[in-house]
Amino acid sequence: MDADKTVEKGSYENPTDLTSNLYNRIRFLESADEKGNVKWLFMNERCVHCGDAGCMKVCPSPGALHRTKEGIVVFDKEKCISCKYCVSACPFNIPRYGADDKVTKCHLCFDRVGAGRLPACAQACPTQTLQFGGRDALIAKAKAAGKKLYGENALDGLGVVYALEDKPEAYGLPADPSIPTSIFLWKDVVRPLGILGFWGSVAAVVVHYVTYGGNRRLDEDGKGKGGDANG
Amino acid sequence: MGKYVERFNTAERVLHWFVAASFVTLLLSGLGLYSRLFHGYFDLFGGGVGAIAAHKYAGAIFFVSSLMLFFNHAKEMFSFDEDDRKWFRTLGGYLSKNPEHINSGKFNAGQKGFGIFMGIATLLLGVTGVINWIPASFPRGIVQFSLLLHGILFLAFVMLMIVHVYLTTIGNPGTLEGMLYGNVRRIWARTHHPKWYKEVGGE
Repeated sequence: MDADKTVEKGSYENPTDLTSNLYNRIRFLESADEKGNVKWLFMNERCVHCGDAGCMKVCPSPGALHRTKEGIVVFDKEKCISCKYCVSACPFNIPRYGADDKVTKCHLCFDRVGAGRLPACAQACPTQTLQFGGRDALIAKAKAAGKKLYGENALDGLGVVYALEDKPEAYGLPADPSIPTSIFLWKDVVRPLGILGFWGSVAAVVVHYVTYGGNRRLDEDGKGKGGDANG
Repeated sequence: MGKYVERFNTAERVLHWFVAASFVTLLLSGLGLYSRLFHGYFDLFGGGVGAIAAHKYAGAIFFVSSLMLFFNHAKEMFSFDEDDRKWFRTLGGYLSKNPEHINSGKFNAGQKGFGIFMGIATLLLGVTGVINWIPASFPRGIVQFSLLLHGILFLAFVMLMIVHVYLTTIGNPGTLEGMLYGNVRRIWARTHHPKWYKEVGGE
């Protein structure tokens, strides 16, 4: 590559973000302590298939984001209506939209998994840093090896559990991942209150009409009876 | 002296029905986005993609026409006098069997409050609507709050619209004529808006 034509981004990592074509990447983080010792951290950035998935909670199109029987959260471009609510509801900022304006994210190679094979990432990883299998068995194995786990219980249990070697924040992960507060208020508070508010308003005007309504008619003889004024 | 007195001129009526038609379009196209309970409403627009497209066009028409309506009446809406304070104290007489005489002008205090809410809500719904439309151009926290605010304002809007439709039809017979034909009966004007009725030449 011609050095004059490329851009220096302060990191060797490439590519630097997920895209609509890149579902899964290794995030590379370099830091130095006060003595100048350099430390490298690596993290697999991808959809973690939350047990309580914000994207599925907000998606207005049934089936566009759904869960397979294996627990994988997958997308269906045919059903996606391009509202982009999932982008805002994801606790990990994972979904991306491409030129076709449809959602994409890691689907854990659900087609391969459904056929009894490993997802491509676990299949390709030469060091078994990425492992795929029964969740309980993998967690037990990691705990036996003394690993500190991230995501075991968060959001009803993440489908992708990390063995981190530093604080979650050092990896750019939220310490305590949850559905964003505004999204929770919108979907779990305002939405049910809305149903109540609608029928409450309808009931209020019906009750008003049958109790006070008759009082507000205008008499044809030219004398208004009720309302704002007694004319 | 004729039986009727002019209340809304043609331009005002056309503008009002632009606002109303775009509101109904926004309501029908937005219901499916509000909750999966209302997913069936997408079918009116040939699916979710069509509903979102209709929501954007209707939103632009609503934003412009509703703000025009607001600014047309801004002067009347922002002038509250002692009679308006009395309207608020007695809730317009709506909860009394024998309502007191309230000397309202062209718009009573409740209508003024409704108009001011409409103006502010239209502005905020427009701004949050654009943010929700192109979320990648704004920080995630802003978009998340914007989605919430759009939902809250929508809810307030629908509740007020139920009350608005009731009060202008069966709740106060004779009111709708003003928005359909432009003129209202003199007895209606003298009953509901005596101060305005005097201004426009009633006895």
